[in-house]
Amino acid sequence: MAAVFELDRVTHRFNRTESLRKISLTVQPGEKVALIGPSGAGKSTLLNLLNGTYSPSDGTLRVFDRCLHQLSGRQRRQLQRQLGTVYQHHGLITNLSVLHNVNAGHLGRWSLWKAAWSLLWPLEVERATAALAAVGIAEKLHTRADRLSGGQQQRAALARVLVQDPAVILADEPTASLDPERSREIMALLVGLCNRDATKTLVMSLHDVAVARRYCDRIIGLRHGQLAFDLSVSQVTDAHLQTLYQL
Amino acid sequence: MTARRSRISHKPWAILSIGTVLIGAFSLSHTGPVLNIGGLPQALQFLRASLHPDLSFDFLQIIIRATGVTFAYAVCGTLLSIAIGFLGGILSSEIWWHAVWPNQAGRSVVRGLLAIPRAIHELIWGLVLVNLLGLDPLVAILAITIPFSAIVAKVFSEILDETPRAPMQLLVSAGVAPPSAVLYGLLPQALPNLLSYSFYRFECALRSSAVLGIIGAGGLGYEIFLSLQSLRYEQLWTAFYALILLNGCVDAWSAAVRQRLGFVSRLALGLPQRKEPQDLGGRQSNWWIWSGIGLMGLLCFWFVGADWSLLWSGRTVRLLSELAASAIPQVPTLAQGITLLQVSWQTVVMSLLASILASMGGLVLSLPAARGFLLPKGLLGTMASETPWAVAVGKFGYVGTRLFLLVSRAVPAPIWALVFLFILFPGIWPGALALALHNLGILGRLMAEVNENTEQRSIRALRIQGASALQTLLYGLLPVTLPQFLAYSLYRWEVCLRATVIVGLVGAGGLGRLMMEQISSFDYGGLTLTLTIFVFLTIVVDSISAALRQKLR
Repeated sequence: MAAVFELDRVTHRFNRTESLRKISLTVQPGEKVALIGPSGAGKSTLLNLLNGTYSPSDGTLRVFDRCLHQLSGRQRRQLQRQLGTVYQHHGLITNLSVLHNVNAGHLGRWSLWKAAWSLLWPLEVERATAALAAVGIAEKLHTRADRLSGGQQQRAALARVLVQDPAVILADEPTASLDPERSREIMALLVGLCNRDATKTLVMSLHDVAVARRYCDRIIGLRHGQLAFDLSVSQVTDAHLQTLYQL
Repeated sequence: MTARRSRISHKPWAILSIGTVLIGAFSLSHTGPVLNIGGLPQALQFLRASLHPDLSFDFLQIIIRATGVTFAYAVCGTLLSIAIGFLGGILSSEIWWHAVWPNQAGRSVVRGLLAIPRAIHELIWGLVLVNLLGLDPLVAILAITIPFSAIVAKVFSEILDETPRAPMQLLVSAGVAPPSAVLYGLLPQALPNLLSYSFYRFECALRSSAVLGIIGAGGLGYEIFLSLQSLRYEQLWTAFYALILLNGCVDAWSAAVRQRLGFVSRLALGLPQRKEPQDLGGRQSNWWIWSGIGLMGLLCFWFVGADWSLLWSGRTVRLLSELAASAIPQVPTLAQGITLLQVSWQTVVMSLLASILASMGGLVLSLPAARGFLLPKGLLGTMASETPWAVAVGKFGYVGTRLFLLVSRAVPAPIWALVFLFILFPGIWPGALALALHNLGILGRLMAEVNENTEQRSIRALRIQGASALQTLLYGLLPVTLPQFLAYSLYRWEVCLRATVIVGLVGAGGLGRLMMEQISSFDYGGLTLTLTIFVFLTIVVDSISAALRQKLR
């Protein structure tokens, strides 16, 4: 089976500043990978490269053995449907109901007309209800997204990914700004989603090393846009972490 | 944050105002006498007629029909320009081109194409269209639709570009096709602002529709113009009252609907809004508003009865080609060039004077015009006990100011200019004053809404601590509202520049007067040149205003 992501000396520059430098790594199907590192290390940039929002300035990035950035629009979108992203902030369409936000997971498969129609007369309500029940907020179906608490918004975002049903879930700090109890619940849900299917892959950036150790099987340390280490959880020592976070 | 913002913004504004007042005074000293004492008796006669308007049955019938026509033109023009402007807005927004074709060249083309219809006032469009299509209701509808579509497109594209993009980007990164991502991830969030602005456009269309009467397109403007020309001031006032009533009803209706839908500010102009955008979930319960608007639209199109076939009739095509052939301008002589420059300068000065007078007056009048401000315990009312007298003063101040603002914005600027011409000699002053008065009515109301929507708890705290009304104003209210006021004023400057043309048409000087002379002598070559200069001026003023408004953010 093809690797999910294959990065070969990938460099990314914003204007002149290098935010990522010569990153090489491979992610296999079914892996649960945590990206850790100090703020500004390039974790979010890496996730945005993986989901195709950014393109590498140098080096090659292969997703399911294909170069995302050399594909035509249609083929590229087809591939991107296999990549679901969850951001901590700004992910939801705030003045639409939770139902519409969850249904946005269908948009990769729906035509423009079907999407427009669904905004007026919501389609697939049962599926959305089931997805919301799976993340524990079934009663919020008709609530506006910006009326939800932070934890509930994150659950709604997870329900959308559930509906999209991608092979890979990318999560950018999924628990930042949630209280410890809430973050435990969200992590349990996220990992639970991936455990339903042995080939589902999870790549997420985390600020909490303990969470990374608990839920992931591989940890990648980033520092100043470079790979500091890439080890399985059991191999990561305190010395590694100290070097990673020292000033 | 507000304090920092206003510190940046005061300086250019102060320099601009002082500079203009000086320039205005300077140019004034060159234009000879301003006040025409000889016109005073006529002016008094005109004012006296306001007390006994012509209420005969026959004339009322005419006026009611004319009111319907003015209203219907506005409805048809607004609906068409929102439909066209929506498409244009998407096609000239950065986000669309960014998402769909990562190539901004197409966007510049669309924006460039839209700049021309926008710069030319609806009255000029009306005059040109009358020559092409003859006197058909279609002229009025198109004269509103053409410039308004371009304005709507510009504002819609700005709203779309300022809407948060992250939800849409997220959809794109999950493989959603860009059109669907825009529809689903961007438009819902922009919708409250788009709709708010559409309501505001309708109010503008109503004013334009009245102005268009002057060129013979029918409606209240036409009746006013006829009465004024035949010196029947009693009939004139009947039409004035009808126009004021119509404007008042539409403004009140628009405010009520916006309130119900929760769109607080009409014209956000990209500044942060204090109240959160409203629930679209409540849409189902508001279906009757939308179906009512739809029904009204159909009714208006039927009532107007425009002859759409004129658009493709052989006669129109022939006249258009003739017009195009005669519209090629000749190179102006040096003397003509100098005159053009002088007249352009007059136009700019007129627009500046008008917008500064309007914004200063609007700022002052917006205080009593804000609901509850003057009442006892209100933001600017007395803090003493609620005597019936104080309540009466507060209420009278509110109603009186609102009424004054309504009257001044309901009467079109060229009509005000004609009224000013009773007692002023032709020149830039009657034009500037007419524009100032009309825009004062608009700005005063917009600013009063800003005052009402301002979060008042912290400001009230000042009052409770013992600050006087004036101190509260200076330290509490103005620092919060000033950026929004300045943004409105700058935007009004753009509008005033366009409107200098229409007061020019009644002899108030500037490029408008020149255009009027050129149109009446069929000098289309000269008209093209004047219009080109005017479009250029508009673009310059728009970019200055846009740059200053950018600073306010």
